Order: sequence, then structure tokens, then C-alpha cells
Amino acid sequence: MNWRLRVVHTTGYRYATAVTQSYNEARLTPRSDDRQNLMVSRLETVPAARGYRYTDYWGTEVNAFDLHTPHTELKVVAASVVETAEQPLPAVDATWSDVRAPESVDKYAEYLEWTTYVPKHRELGAVARSLRKGRTPQETVLVVSKWVHDTLKYQRGTTGVHSSAVDAWQAGEGVCQDYAHLTLAMLRAVGIPARYVSGYLHTKPDAAVGETVVGESHAWVEAWTGDWWGFDPTNDIPIAHRHVWVATGRDYGDVSPLKGIYSGGAATAIEVTVDMTRLA
Amino acid sequence: MLARNAESLYWIGRYVERADDTARILDVSVHQLLEDATVDADTASRRLLAVLGITPPDGTQLDVWTLTELVAMSPETGSIVSSIASARENTRVAREVVSSELWQCINSMWNAVPERQRAARRVGPHEFFTFVEDRAAMFAGLADSTMSRDDGWRFLVLGRSVERVDMIVRLLMSRVGDKPTSPGWVTVLRSAGAHDTYLRTYRGALDASRVVQFLLMDRLFPRSVFHALSKAESCLEELDRGPSARIGANAEAARLLGKARSDLEFLRPSELLDDLTGRLQVLQTTVREVGEAVSRQYFHAVPWIEWNNAEVNL
Amino acid sequence: MSPASSRLAGPQLFAGYLDPRRPHAGAYDEMFDPVDGVRTAYKRLHDSLEPLQPADLTTRAEALDRALVDQGITFSLSGQERPFPLDLVPRVITASEWSRLERGIVQRVRALEAFLADIYGEQQIVADGVLPRRLITSCEHFHRQAAGIAPPNGVRIHVAGIDVVRDEQGDFRVLEDNLRSPSGVSYVMENRRTMARVFPDLFAKHRVRAVGDYAVHLLRALRAAAPPGATDPNVVVLTPGVYNSAYFEHSLLARQMGVELVEGRDLFARNNVIYLRTTEGEQRVDVIYRRIDDEFLDPVQFEPDSVLGVAGLVNAARAGNVVIANAIGNGVGDDKLVYTYLPEILKYYLGETPLLPNVDTFRCWLPAEQAEVLDRLDELVTKPVEGSGGYGIVFGPDASPKELAAQRRRIRANPRGWIAQPVVQLSTVPTKVGERLQPRHVDLRPFAVNDGDSVFVLPGGLTRVAIPEGSLIVNSSQGGGSKDTWVLAQRASGEDAELRGRGLGAVKSDEASTPEQGPELNLAQQQQQQ
Repeated sequence: MNWRLRVVHTTGYRYATAVTQSYNEARLTPRSDDRQNLMVSRLETVPAARGYRYTDYWGTEVNAFDLHTPHTELKVVAASVVETAEQPLPAVDATWSDVRAPESVDKYAEYLEWTTYVPKHRELGAVARSLRKGRTPQETVLVVSKWVHDTLKYQRGTTGVHSSAVDAWQAGEGVCQDYAHLTLAMLRAVGIPARYVSGYLHTKPDAAVGETVVGESHAWVEAWTGDWWGFDPTNDIPIAHRHVWVATGRDYGDVSPLKGIYSGGAATAIEVTVDMTRLA
Repeated sequence: MLARNAESLYWIGRYVERADDTARILDVSVHQLLEDATVDADTASRRLLAVLGITPPDGTQLDVWTLTELVAMSPETGSIVSSIASARENTRVAREVVSSELWQCINSMWNAVPERQRAARRVGPHEFFTFVEDRAAMFAGLADSTMSRDDGWRFLVLGRSVERVDMIVRLLMSRVGDKPTSPGWVTVLRSAGAHDTYLRTYRGALDASRVVQFLLMDRLFPRSVFHALSKAESCLEELDRGPSARIGANAEAARLLGKARSDLEFLRPSELLDDLTGRLQVLQTTVREVGEAVSRQYFHAVPWIEWNNAEVNL
Repeated sequence: MSPASSRLAGPQLFAGYLDPRRPHAGAYDEMFDPVDGVRTAYKRLHDSLEPLQPADLTTRAEALDRALVDQGITFSLSGQERPFPLDLVPRVITASEWSRLERGIVQRVRALEAFLADIYGEQQIVADGVLPRRLITSCEHFHRQAAGIAPPNGVRIHVAGIDVVRDEQGDFRVLEDNLRSPSGVSYVMENRRTMARVFPDLFAKHRVRAVGDYAVHLLRALRAAAPPGATDPNVVVLTPGVYNSAYFEHSLLARQMGVELVEGRDLFARNNVIYLRTTEGEQRVDVIYRRIDDEFLDPVQFEPDSVLGVAGLVNAARAGNVVIANAIGNGVGDDKLVYTYLPEILKYYLGETPLLPNVDTFRCWLPAEQAEVLDRLDELVTKPVEGSGGYGIVFGPDASPKELAAQRRRIRANPRGWIAQPVVQLSTVPTKVGERLQPRHVDLRPFAVNDGDSVFVLPGGLTRVAIPEGSLIVNSSQGGGSKDTWVLAQRASGEDAELRGRGLGAVKSDEASTPEQGPELNLAQQQQQQ
């Protein structure tokens, strides 16, 4: 049975001094695929701005807007209603030689590359290779996710926007973003194309219809083992009703939910809230 | 017109005029020093430096040569060479709004500076001053014949006129200490290129009050303060496209200029020498304030915006 | 001394010109054929130069330098303004050579346009397996920010500079394509003006095609690129500022097109429309001919700390409210590894074979070719796939074993980053060195302007010359100079643009046209006054 979820995500910045100009891009609109169906979405800003929508290279819907009146706070509210389903493990379980075939390597090259958030690391690579032994690519994804889940300690506020997989691993703690990056680093080390997914997580598995719970901005991974499929290393669970996806990319940098530039004093993020209500 | 380019044109006008007038002032001062052995070179030089707003060096005795080095040749602010370089730099950044002839005139002037300096050190400073004056005249001629009478032209003439007021005032300042019968007043006239016209106007009678009167109040002579003020005023009037004012002037710069002009216009000539220093100082202040007002009104060139990057963490 | 040179060379100017002991003696000399003597194209030029005394040459060279400096024709090198050295002897290209070159360049530009449109759109060429996807995604200048931006008239390469060289057989080959913001066209125009002042007699003896109307073509192409609905498109030239090495060119082009030369701070975006700040208020901008690199163009999409660009510009272009020329991300088309696939690209989009061949190139990212490159490193030239100005190039034959070892490491560490080519002995043209004329190596950068309907190739181009003896590196940043490039008009054609067309009217001489004279003192008066 499918879930129908309403997501209301509030985010933004507070500036130390009045900002006269700012240009922003929000990537906050859930997408549709065979597991998820976007029904309605709306994005509002305070102060109000005329938005411009486009779909970027990664297929993410972007809302771009600029402000030209002095303001000390920018609030962005993204509201949407989506239907979600469970995602069973894909029936296709490609062999290692399928995954490493030149065609796959070429086709998914971008998801095998090292990035700032997902750098190459010798030791991590060795761990990943030892986990792979005797397992199919699909099993490897599961075991790597489990390893990441067991290795990192979930610690809110420990990482900034700019810490990499290796930073988190060395610190032994992180948030969902770090769990995802660390998983990506290990999967790419054994040659499994893997990408970053940003979205939302409903936090109450047995929520009643009509109940509003505090949700989370969330991140998980998708891997290609003959087909793309997702897994949530932060919670070591498969992707299901409670996951609403928004964007995919090579790492966080490709999908950052709200970014922009402004002229004026230092910016601090306002309190982010994600309200999720199960509608059906 | 881009505010940035307007500002450049205004400063081209000012720097070329400044180079020209500084050369003129220095030319006659140097010759006076050379001709009149009774003048104390150091005192006279220091007075001139003060008037030109150049900090005199401590300790050294100044003479004709060191004075020329300081005012003409050195790259320090206020020298002729620095004015030429600034004029050229302003032309370079606004090349698409000045004619190629004008650019070449300034650029080749700037390129010729080292060679002319060498020549001047060999045969005497007059060589260098003539070069600067000639090039400035050429610049004025080319501007007159190759520039459209649009806003660009107006900013150029405005800059030139404002600078001219300033320099004539400085020139008179350098002589306020002289006796009314001092031969120094002739040099003042020569500096301004006004000697011949003055002689024809006043039939040869030379005295301080008439010289000052001529340079401050003459309606016809283009290097008089009155004439330059009127010119600047008319440029501003044409630049101002706002609805015409029923009372007074729309803009601060126009008001300042109009007031200074009418103060001179309706002054009794006999009162002119009472508190001449004070009067000159007021004019100098006016020039500075006009410059600031013009810049506030027209040159609000946007500074580079420094962007900050903002990103929300999860 | 070879018999040819002793017979042909003048008493002084050409003395010892074809010395067989000179470096790269196998290079094609454009003036002298080792067997038949002076080539036809250069016959008149040679005959005019030969009787000149070295002193004449020096006088003219000085006049030339002075003219360049006074006009301020300079480039900046490490912040210093320098005159761009112009050699006295022009480089001559015959009408038939030029028409082959022109066709080849037009073909290339058309194919690369189709390629860029595809890459930033559907990527059909990758889907069809003609090019590996990794070739594109690993390209440093493949800007994902530009994906989905479709220019209104389809043009991305408004201006291209295609660098060509002549090999030992005298055949033109393409060395590299420049599709981002190729510079140098101002020197083409200014070199011509200056040469005409200093060597008026040479021009009288040749029918040289004009290059002065480049700006007309550029402006037409830029206006044609404007968003639909802009009835009188407002075009601006965007420069990084007065300290940029090519500032002279930016200001020259703006002046010649009669458009505003702006810096990033003069522009701003509001609701995806770009405006210019003027003393009379805001003015909408339709087309931006930018001479700023992609990475600095828009701090929202690229370097956030860039102060040179305009925030919001990329999305304004995406929304179709402004056109950026050349388009963002054109660097994919001039990557030197992509260059090696040009025959495939031409075949895929146009179904044609290249009219102008590439220089043979080894791709270090293919293991087999890499092995060969590493094996023959001491005889090959290795170049970074990205970058210009001659930086990073290693000449195998000139490199020390230590340098070669370092280069080997660099290639192994980043095979995608390097290509290798055999040393091409660029053709030589007589060049004034001291008191004599000596063979020096040259390349050629013709400029092509695409207005969407046709590709115009400026008849001429920037001939760069390597001044040090034996040097094959012609970049101005490496101490090179330039030559005026003469494309000769067809004997029978009316293409002699300087003289072409009918006049507006005819002038009849008659009495009334004599200028009036003021009154003169008559002779009697003069005598009496004495």
C-alpha cells in the first residue's frame, strides 16, 4: 500500500546586516519515478520573489530567485504532496564483470569519479575490497552500508556543509550526509557506480493518517548493480514509504538544497523545520 | 553614458588642464627665479610648493632645478608627470568614448615624457614646459574638433573648467604676499597666457588690483575665474535633465557654482582686494565642494560587489 | 651556402637566408622553394624588398614601432604594457590557398556548432556510441551549468579562432581550435593599418583583401543572435577590466562596433533580465559579447568570489532574455583530446571528411597510444589538453632526461590531461632579425564569425612568428611577434574590398570648386612698405 505524504520544509538564512541583493537557487522539489509520484508542489519565499524554474543537468528541479530589496532574513518554504511506495531489492543482480564492463564504466563514469566530498582514500579502499570478497555487487552494497552504519556514530551538528567522507570517517561520527558520502567512497572504490540522493525522511514508521510528525532532511545513496536502486546507510534500512527523494548527483555539491550569494553581513542558517503529515 | 566613463572624461579634463596650468605657473616662476637674483630661491620655491599642494622636502635647500624636479618631473602626486599619467590612464579606460585622435595625442604625450625630461635636463626646463603646454593645446583643439557635443563633451569641459578655476586661484595665491607694484604680477599674467590681452584691455597700466580683477572677473577672457565658472555652470545646466526648478538650482553643484559666479559678477571692483586671501580661499573651498557634489550626483559608479556564499546545512 | 640562396638572395638583406645548417632546415619556407627559387606568391614582395638597404629597413621598423606605441597597441604581460611586436615583412597567402583554408574552417565551425548543441542537449553522439561518454564528462570545460541553455539562433561559436600551421610539405593542418574567446583579431586590423602607413608602396603592388570590416561582421552576428523580440538589440562588450592582457582588443572592438564596453559591475540581473547602469538609468541588455572566462562569468553558478562577472547571468541566458557570446561551455569543443576525434565528429554531423587535416596526435588516455608516447617521449611534443599560451608544452627533443622523467610521471598520473604530437616543423617566412632577413617559424590564426546563416572567415588572420632562432613556440607570452597577413584577391574577381563598388556620385571639376582666398597685399604695397 502506498503512502501519501505532505512535506512542508522551511529553511533560510538570517543576515547580520541588511542584505540588499541576493541570488539563490533552491533544490527542494521532490521528483517522480516508479516508486514516488509528485502530486503538488509549491515554493514560497519571504520576502516574496518571482521564481524561475528549470531542470538542471542532473534532472533536479531548480527554483531560482533574486531579491533586490534590503532584507535581514530570507525564509524559503517548500511544500509538496507525494505518493511513495516501497522499493524491493532489484531482481537484476549484475555480476562483477557486468559492473566493470567498459560500457558500464563509460556510461556511469560520473558516478565512479572522486570528488571533494568523496575523495579517494587508500585505507578505505582496502576495507571496501575486503568487504567485497565472495559477494555479488548487490550484496556488497548492503554490506558496505551496514559497515558505514556501524562505523559512524550519528551526531547532529558535527559536520559542516564542507566535510568529506574521509573527515567523517576519521572523526567516527557524522550526519546522514556523511553516511552517504562514506558509502559512496567505498562503493566507488570497488567499482560500483553510486550516487548521492537528497530528500526527506518521515520519522515515524507507524504514523496514523492525519498525524503531523517532525521529519528530517535526509540523504542516502543509490548504486548501480544492473539497475539503480537505493539504500539508506544512516538507518541501515531499504528505501520505503518514509523516503521522499528530491535530487541525485555525484555528491552533496550537485544537489545542495539551498545555496546562493548575497552582498552584506555574515549569514547564519535559520532553524530548519520539516513537517511531514501522512495523508493516506 | 556609463557613470564610469563620465567620471573618466571629467578627470581627463581636469588632469590635462592641471598639467597645462602647472607647467605655466612653474615656467614663469622658474624664469623669474633665474632672472631676478634678489629673490630667495628657497623661500619662493617653498611658497610655490605650498600653493600647488605639494609637500616640500625637509632639510634641502631648494633651487630652480630641485623645484623643477619636484613639480614637473617626479612621479609624485601633483606633479606634471603624474597629471599626464593620470590623464592617460583615464583615457585608456574610457577609450571607446574618446576619439582615436584624442587618445593618440595623450598617449604619445605620455610616451614622450622620458625623452622630454632628458632634453629638459640638458637644455633647461623651459623645453619641458613648452612641450606640455603645446600638447595640452593640441588636446583642446582635437577635443574641440573630434568630439560630439554630447554629455561626454560636457563632462570633459566641466572638468577642465573646474580645474581652471582651481589653478587660477592657486596662481593668485602664490602672489598674495607681493607688493601691489611688484614685477611679480607680470609673471602672473604671463602664467595665465593673459599678458597681451591684459595690456590691450588696460592700455599697459600695470597694478595688482587690475591684474587680480582681470583674472578673477573679466567676462571675455577664457582663463578668468568668472569665465570658467560660467562655463562649468552651463555644462551642468545642460547635463541636468530633471524638470527645471522654479526656485534656485536643482542640484548642489549648480547652486555652488552659480553662487560663486554671482559673487564675482556683482562685486564692486574696488572691494576686490579687501580680504583677497579670504576670497580666494572661499573659491578654493567651492571648487572642492563642486567636485564632491558632481561626483555624488553623476559618478555613482558601482563599486565591485563582494559576494558571499551562503549554503544551508542539512 | 646553397646554390639557390646565393643566386636568389640580394646582396645583403637575404644573405645566407637558406643556410642548410639552420635549425629545422626541413621546414617549408613560404618565400623560397629550395629548387625553383622565389615562389610566385612572394615574387613581387621579394622584388620590392631585395633592393632595400638594411638602413631603410631599420628606419621603417622604427617608424612602425613608434606608430604602434603611440596608438597604444599593446598587450599586457605580467601587468606591464608592451607593444605587440610587428615584423616588417608580411606573410602572403594566395587566393587559391585561402579558399581551401576558408572552406576547411567553415566546415570545422559548422561541425563544432552541431557538436556543442548536441553535447549541451540530447547527447545523441554519445548515445549512438560514436564518442565515449567519458570523453565529455571528464572534460574540464564541460560545464553542466550550461546544459539545457539553447541560444535563440542556435549559435554558440559566434567567434572562432582556428590555429593552423603548414607542415614540411606546405600543407595546412589544424593545430587547435579556440572556441571560448579567441583573441588577437585587433592585431590583425591594427597591423594592417600600421603596415599601410609604413609600406604604402608594397600595397600599391599587391591586391590585398581588406580586414578592416571585421567589426561589421561581428556586430551583425551578435545582433542576429539576440533574443527574439529585441527589435533593436542592445549589444555590449564585457571585459574583465583595464588590467586584462587583451583590454586593448576589447576596447577596440567596442569602439568599432559603436557599442558600450562594460565591466561586470556595470551590469546587473533582475528577474532574469540583464540591465546596464547608465547616467540616465537602467538600460536592458540583449547580447553580451563577453571576454571573461566561463568560471568568472556568474558567481551564482561558478566561482562565488568572482567580482568580474554578473550574478544571475547564466539563468538570464537560460530564460532566453540575454544571449552570451561565445556561449558558456564551448571549451568542450576545443579540448585537445576532443580535437583528436574531429574526423568522427565531422562524419557524424555533416557526413563529410575533413578538408583540413589535424596534426597527427597520440591520445595518452588510450593505453596503447600512451605506451607509444612514453616510449618515444624524447621525440614528441606533449601538450596539456586544456590551456593555451604555450604553457605546459614539453618539446621532447629539447628536454633533459630529468624533464622527460617528470613529464612521464605527469602523463601516468593524468593520462586524460595529455596528448602528444610529432614535432611539426612550422613553415618559415623571412623576418627582420638585426640587419638581415632570416627564416622564422610562423603559425596562423584565422578568425571565423558565425551569424547563424553563414560563417564568415576574415581574409587574413593573425600570423604569429617565433623570434628566437629555431624556436617553434609562437605565443606572444613566449616572446613571439606577429606579421601582417596578406590574402591576395583573385586576379579576376571584384573581391578587392578596398576599391570595390560604385561611388555615390561623380565629381565634375569646375570653376566654382576652387577654394576662396582672402585679400592679399599686392606687390606694390609690399615694396613700398619695405
